[in-house]
Amino acid sequence: MKTSFSKTLLVIGTTTLISGPALADYPERPIEMIIAYSAGGGTDIAARTLVPYLEEHLGTDITVVNRPGAGGEVGFTELAKAKPDGYTIGFINTPNVITIPIERETRYEIDDFAPIASVVDDPAGFNVHPESQFKTLDDLIEHAKANPNDISYGTTGVGSDDHLAALALERQADIKMTHVPFPGSADVRQALMGQHIDLGIFNMGEAASDAKAGRVRTLAQGAEKRWEKAPDVPTLKEQGYDLVIGSNRGIAAPAGVPEDRINKLSQAVAKAMQEEDFQAAADKQALPLYYQNPQDYQKTLNTAQERFQALWEESPWSEQ
Amino acid sequence: MWENILSALPLLFSPSVLLAMAAGTTVGVFIGALPGLSATMGIAVLIPLTFSMDPLVALGMMAGIYNGAMYGGAIPAILLRIPGTPAGIATVFDGHPMAQKGQGLEAMKIALASSAFGGSVSALALLLLSPPLAAMALKFGPVEIFWLAIFGLAAIAVLLSDAPIKGLTSACLGLLLGMVGIDSMTGNERFTFDIMELTGGINILVLLTGLYAIPPALTLALEATLIKKGSGKDKLGSGKSMVAWKHLVPTWCRSSVIGVIVGIIPGTGGNIAAMLSWNEARRAAKDKSQFGKGNPVGVAAAECANNADNAASLIPALTLGIPGSTVSAVILGGLLVHGLLPGPQLFTQSAPITYGFILAMLVTSIMLFIIGRLGARLFINVMYMPPLLLAPIIIALTTIGVYAINNSIFDVWLMMILGLAGWGLERLQVPLAPAVLAVILGPIAESSLRRAMLIGGNDISFLFSSSIAMVMVGAIVMTILSPIIRMAMASYRRRKGKQSSTATTRMVEGPGES
Repeated sequence: MKTSFSKTLLVIGTTTLISGPALADYPERPIEMIIAYSAGGGTDIAARTLVPYLEEHLGTDITVVNRPGAGGEVGFTELAKAKPDGYTIGFINTPNVITIPIERETRYEIDDFAPIASVVDDPAGFNVHPESQFKTLDDLIEHAKANPNDISYGTTGVGSDDHLAALALERQADIKMTHVPFPGSADVRQALMGQHIDLGIFNMGEAASDAKAGRVRTLAQGAEKRWEKAPDVPTLKEQGYDLVIGSNRGIAAPAGVPEDRINKLSQAVAKAMQEEDFQAAADKQALPLYYQNPQDYQKTLNTAQERFQALWEESPWSEQ
Repeated sequence: MWENILSALPLLFSPSVLLAMAAGTTVGVFIGALPGLSATMGIAVLIPLTFSMDPLVALGMMAGIYNGAMYGGAIPAILLRIPGTPAGIATVFDGHPMAQKGQGLEAMKIALASSAFGGSVSALALLLLSPPLAAMALKFGPVEIFWLAIFGLAAIAVLLSDAPIKGLTSACLGLLLGMVGIDSMTGNERFTFDIMELTGGINILVLLTGLYAIPPALTLALEATLIKKGSGKDKLGSGKSMVAWKHLVPTWCRSSVIGVIVGIIPGTGGNIAAMLSWNEARRAAKDKSQFGKGNPVGVAAAECANNADNAASLIPALTLGIPGSTVSAVILGGLLVHGLLPGPQLFTQSAPITYGFILAMLVTSIMLFIIGRLGARLFINVMYMPPLLLAPIIIALTTIGVYAINNSIFDVWLMMILGLAGWGLERLQVPLAPAVLAVILGPIAESSLRRAMLIGGNDISFLFSSSIAMVMVGAIVMTILSPIIRMAMASYRRRKGKQSSTATTRMVEGPGES
């Protein structure tokens, strides 16, 4: 009885495997999208803004499921362990998705994901108070060289992209500053505006409205080339540091999803991101949009993985 | 500010928000009228169920529950001598004697009008004081936040005069629970036992529902026959006024001010406000002998003050992110799930919703008056709802709600465990409020201190480097010394042959509701 049952299972299994992609019209039922952060958070809002346009181009419903916890680990693990049939996708956020497995034992690895498309790439921003003595990044670095650990910088936490950006800059410029972690970017902004810290590192998208209102001065951005909403802010590269860093939000599936499904999803994301209405909504949230196809996105993730691994081995950013 | 108010008005007076406020107020009175259930519990149970609602619909409902529950607590306090919420204790002093004299309905009417008055003043205080305070919030760096959190913790300690050991045990338990999760300053895991779900710490909503919703439900189920049906109804009377309301106006004004001030101070709640206010009303009266024997002024003073505490207790929560009471802690949680972060940006970037919520506190205070008048007899019957029906409803709602927070069954188990632990502690008469406040204030104090030490280069004197910090240190010293001063004064008065005030020695309840 037992053998015949497992045989049946095997038969059903193989037939689904063979006939699955052949049955073709993917997607034929709703897709579940896992968000590793709480409802109402930045990633969640960005995802929910994209979803209606993505639904239109995929011709199916998408259910957003929030699985927050452990800095994203709960949701990432669930996505990595999901059935690779293309009906479970999710947002992955760098650097967390890469740094968490570096920092601690996890039940997923970065190779457990099949990247679909990069959606948002928010470069890190180095911000000071408008009345600060530092007018340029060079001023800041000069001061830090002469006075090690005198400059205090606030970030959104140990191992955040902001923290990693500062560590990388410290290494390249050969300076030392004092790290003051805060729970979120709103807290860093508040501390900077109250002049409790000298330097506030948070993403350009998060700095946009304050910079526009003259409440902060941005000295440098960690983008590849200047973000169109901040054309006056020089990049770190322009100022002589080989450093491109920020927080990237993209869509991925569990590894093993058939390639044609990945491509179909990726093309739908590309089309959705070209919609004017979507771009207007993204503009309102100051989201720097950045589409990448699966191959390029994979490369981005690999590069980041190598860089963070090297950084960790040289100077681990958290105590373990 | 005016333009912010104007921009909030159309949102506030949309049908769905109005309906939510009315429903919240009604539910609030129900919850308050049921002994054992509190506003904290009601809001904690409801927050997860509001995820899919518009922020203002959800917040309007919370405002209604908060205001409604504070009045609801007066109904059993007057008719049955059981305060429905901790803040209703002072209402018993004069409210129940009035009922015994056959003036129960009148006492309820006075309590209602006083609650509505106090709540409105409090909402106005929130509206007028928050924006300037929020502007000042930028001056609050890690040093000042540290002292503010310590001030809150000190206030807890002082309120434990009745059973200090039990209270401190509860506070320490809270501090310990607050440490669970990744240490935000270094990345170390603390007390996570390799459980992935614990690395982010214990979700405050899970903790609050566990400690505040499960124990009363269990107690209700176990003591199902506590209140006999119909008891107290013979004391309603005609409801005819024995006192002209204009005589209550001075009491209302005084009590409102007391309530607002007590509300702003972290750690103190509606019970303290009501107690102080009742005492002040007695002190100010020409004929003190009638207090405690059914004086309508006593009811007005107590009920006005405990509602005047409501919106005011949200001032530090909204402007600085430091909740002064358990209710403001849950409301803060409610704001966070709807993407509203406390601080100055709340009054700029999210202005329409923030002002909408503040105005909802005002509108629901006024609604309370109408709903309370229309539903007086209905609310009396709520007290007699069969507990055996109520307990499973509460447990089912909390389970669904807590699951919905993170879609996590782990959270449900955690809530059950915390609920059982909370029930056990209640049986041992260990107050839970110190634990809840400590679990929130502890991590704030710890991380602010460590941030301050980083910025100040590990120099202790940095902690005393600003005038705000020094004022706060002064307040902390005064708070800690106050029981000693009170004792000294009491013994001095005894020596002079006078009786010490009954009210001050009765201030023994923890800072539960506010």
